[in-house]
This record gives sequence, structure tokens and C-alpha cells, in this order.
Amino acid sequence: MLAGQILNGLVTGAMYALVAIGFSLVIGTLDKLNFAHSEVFMVGGFIALLTVSYMPWQLALLVIFLVGGLLGLATEFIAFRRFQTTEGKVTAALASMALGLIITDLVHKGWGTEPVPLKVQSEWLQTGHSLFGATVLNLQIVILAVAFLLMAMLHVLLHKSRMGRQIRALAESNVSASLLGINVRRVTQTVFFVSSALAAVGGLLVALRGGAANSEIGLTFGLKSLAIMAIGGMGDLRGALVGGLLIGVLEALMFQMGLGRLVEMTAWVALMAVLMFRPQGLFGGGIHAQEQRA
Amino acid sequence: MIADHLFFAGINVLLAWSVYVVLMTGSLSFAQGMFMAVGCYTAGVLTVKFGWPLLAATLAAATLASIVAAVVGWPALRLRGVYLILVTIGITFCGRVLLENVEYVGGVAGFGGMSGASHTTVLVAVALIGTAIFWLSRSPLQRTLDAVREDDRVAASLGINVPVVRLIGFASGAFIAAIAGSLFGHYMSFVRPESFDILLSVYVVLYVVLGGVNNMWGALLGATVMTLLPEYFRVLAEWRPTVFGLAILLMLLFRPQGLLSFRTLSSRWKPANGASAITTDEQCKTAPS
Repeated sequence: MLAGQILNGLVTGAMYALVAIGFSLVIGTLDKLNFAHSEVFMVGGFIALLTVSYMPWQLALLVIFLVGGLLGLATEFIAFRRFQTTEGKVTAALASMALGLIITDLVHKGWGTEPVPLKVQSEWLQTGHSLFGATVLNLQIVILAVAFLLMAMLHVLLHKSRMGRQIRALAESNVSASLLGINVRRVTQTVFFVSSALAAVGGLLVALRGGAANSEIGLTFGLKSLAIMAIGGMGDLRGALVGGLLIGVLEALMFQMGLGRLVEMTAWVALMAVLMFRPQGLFGGGIHAQEQRA
Repeated sequence: MIADHLFFAGINVLLAWSVYVVLMTGSLSFAQGMFMAVGCYTAGVLTVKFGWPLLAATLAAATLASIVAAVVGWPALRLRGVYLILVTIGITFCGRVLLENVEYVGGVAGFGGMSGASHTTVLVAVALIGTAIFWLSRSPLQRTLDAVREDDRVAASLGINVPVVRLIGFASGAFIAAIAGSLFGHYMSFVRPESFDILLSVYVVLYVVLGGVNNMWGALLGATVMTLLPEYFRVLAEWRPTVFGLAILLMLLFRPQGLLSFRTLSSRWKPANGASAITTDEQCKTAPS
């Protein structure tokens, strides 16, 4: 039973981490908070509605990755490109928040405000194995595998490729990067594409797991991931991963202990505790380690 | 009908001012909805269960809310920017979960039985708080606030205790929001924890952004317009979040300097030195030609 709960927690945590890494990537390289990110994550579930019924879920995953990325490019164009000054930081956050409002409203107009059930044509996902006395669904394995594969790919992209080097240069300094001949706009677009694509896939995974696409999760699950990003340390990808898994398991354990009604608070209380005792976050290896501004 | 509109406009103006007061010290707060809830529930319990008069209950609730804000805000206000925004969002979520789990105030089902507020009460509150903020904007204290907002390091080097100034701003914001909450509760006579969710706080911040953050009239304008317009145009009410979001985006796009540039306030309200400095500056520029 306990093992099953911990596994559940890890699965939730992996999805938190996927969304939190997107937040972290944008804030780490561009020093900007993208509130539309959590709504792109929510939209991922609704694109899943459109795609999963017509094609195998593996293909749907790819489609959602691409559509999410395109939404990220749109976000960058609408809410971020014009606001590049230092004072523009808060402005850009507010603009992305306004964009998030619009996205949510459009989804409400299309599908209504209630969760929409999602049917998957695959029996295989729902079959389970027995492992250490707990039932492990194939779905849970798929979620963990997809999440960790994407994070591993991101790690490789950041540390082994030319684009990754440019992204890291941009994270160090906007101006020096452009002086060194880096096409700042293209790198920025890449960052937004990747982060939003990860969020949209996260949305698909959440919808697959819950069996429904929910328009509320942008403001609950999405904002919680934002807190997790800060718990792990802003701009630090390891921190987002560890923070996500930690909060996921913690929430599962709270259910186990019968504190299910307080679960929504976990991430936020953890955030306040971390900020009080270790303001730079658990890892804090990002560029914000010394300067807490954004 | 018109009384209803006036009432909601008044409540939103109060909330917008509560955001504005916090913003004057350079912090952006998404917790005003929760401080409103604290005010609403505290005043409700005091009037319904203890039979206090409305005015006393409102003031007590507002005081409690500002104490809560000071206690919760203290660790967060030493941090800056994004962290503070996150903590205020966290306050909203935690507060809602706590309210839903306290059976004494009705839990998820909600809390009812308050009465006594009308649109006149709210308008009186708006007038009083408006006067207070106006007086503040003419007082020397405004210069301290300006310094903290513009550059907290310079302010600190001038001997201003930046965290304390911020804390006072945050607590006063909570005070105003709690007054709005108390009046809201006593007008609606029934409230539920979900009336105070994160969207309310987001909307209020965006009212202020839409109206302009440079002075108190911007908050007044933004809140009034965004409350009253949807009441008179059906389409706007139906597409409210989209229209509102678009309005914000356009507003931000066509003010490329960013609405959060506070440069005009001090020069407008303290004309003597500022104005002459500007004119000499312009004379220098025009002199060679």
C-alpha cells in the first residue's frame, strides 16, 4: 500500500517536474516569469482530447509536443518580445498573465468549464503488473518514462549541443551573448518552444492519468509547479526535478496519513519554509544564486 | 440594480486601492483576495456570533488582517520580485484550504447571516480611504515610499528601513482589502471560500495595471470601468476574460515604456523643484539651435 502511494507520488512528481522545468528554463535564461506557461500546460490536455481519439497515443504525444511548442512561440511573440527592458520584466509577467486569461476563456468557450472525459483506445495502458506488492499500471510506467526521457533529452540539448551552449550563454548575459554573435531572438524562441512543448506533454500525461481534460489545472497544478520551481531553486533544472518528485511523494504520503484535505497547501507551505531558511532554493545553482531579482 | 452596480464598483475600487498601496512600496501582491476573505469571515463571525456592530467588527477584522499580513509577509518581504509574487499566491491558496477546513465558519458550505451594509456604506468607505490615500500622496511619507519603490538599495543607503516600509505597505493593503471584504460579506449576507479564489486577486491586480499604476486615480478608473462596462454590455459580460485580457495586452503593448515606470508621480505632485529642473533641462537642449 505504502509502496503504491509512493509510486503514485513519484508519477505526480514527474509531471510536476516536467512543468516546473519549463518555468525554470524561461526564468533561468531570460529572467522572466511566464504565467501563460501553466495555461499552455492546461491546453495540452485539450489537444489530447482532439488527437488521442483519432490516432495512437504515441503519435498524439508527438503532435502535442509540436503544438505546445508552437503555442510557446506565440506566447513569446505576444507577451514577451516587446518587453525586453529591465522594467519590462514585471510587465511581461503581467502580459503573459493576460494571455493566460484569454487562453482559459477560449477553452471555456470551446469545451465548457467542467472536466471533459478523455477516452483512450488502448487497453494496454490500463493493464497492471505486480511489483513489490503494489500494482503498477503500464500508464504509470509510460508517464515516468516519457517525463524522464524528455528531461534527459533536455539535459543533452543544454549541455552537448551548439544551441544548448548558446542558451547557457544567454543565461549568463543577454548583452554579451549578442556581442558574441548569438542570434538572441532565435535562442529565445527555442527556449520558449522547448519549455511550452514540455508543458503541453505534461498536460497530456495529466489528462491520460486523470481520464479527463480539466480547464482548472492551469491555476492549481500549473501554479503549484511554479512554487516547486522556486523550491528547487530558480533557473536550476536539477532543483525543479528533485522539488517536483519531493512534493509529489509528500502529497501522496499526506493522503496516506489521512490529511488529504490539506494536500493543496503542501507545495505552498513548503515554498514558504524553503524561502525562510534557504531563500535561494534547495539547489540554487542557477544564475539567481547571488542576485535574488527577476 | 443601480445600487448593486455601485456596490460592486465600490468594492472593486477598494480592492484596487489595496493593491495600489502595496504597489507604492514596489511589491506586487496577489494575496488581496485572501485578506478580503479574512476581513469578511472575521467581521462576519463578530457580528453574527457575538453581536458586534458593523463598524467595530469591520475595524477589528481589518486590524486582524493587517496583523496576519505582517506575520506572513515578514519573511517574504525581505525577498524581492518573483519570490514575493509566489508567496502572495501561496497565501491565497493556503488561506482557501484553511477556510474550507474550519467547521466553525461553515467550511466548504459557506458562512451566512451577515447583514447591514448597503451601497452607501461602501461609498462612504471609498470616500474615506480615498481621502486617506490622497493625503498620503501629498505627505512627506510619499517620498520615502517613492525611494523604496524606485531603488531599494539607494533607499537603504539613505537610512530608510526598507523591509519595515514594505511591511507597513503590505499591512495597510491588507487593512483596506479586509474592509472591502467585511462590507462585501455584510452586503451579500452569504459567502463561500471559493468566492475568494486566486482569479479574484489576479483580476484586481490587472484592474490597477489597466487603469495605470502611477497614481491612485488609475486604480479607481480601472476598477470602475471594468466593473461597470460588463454590466451594460452583454457581449462584454460573456467574453469578459478575453476582452479584459486583450485590453491589458493592448495597453501594455502601446505603452512600451511599461506601465510600471513610476517616473511621473513625484514630478507631478511635487511641482516646485521638479518642474523648474525640467524646464532648465529643456532650455539647455534648445539653447544651441
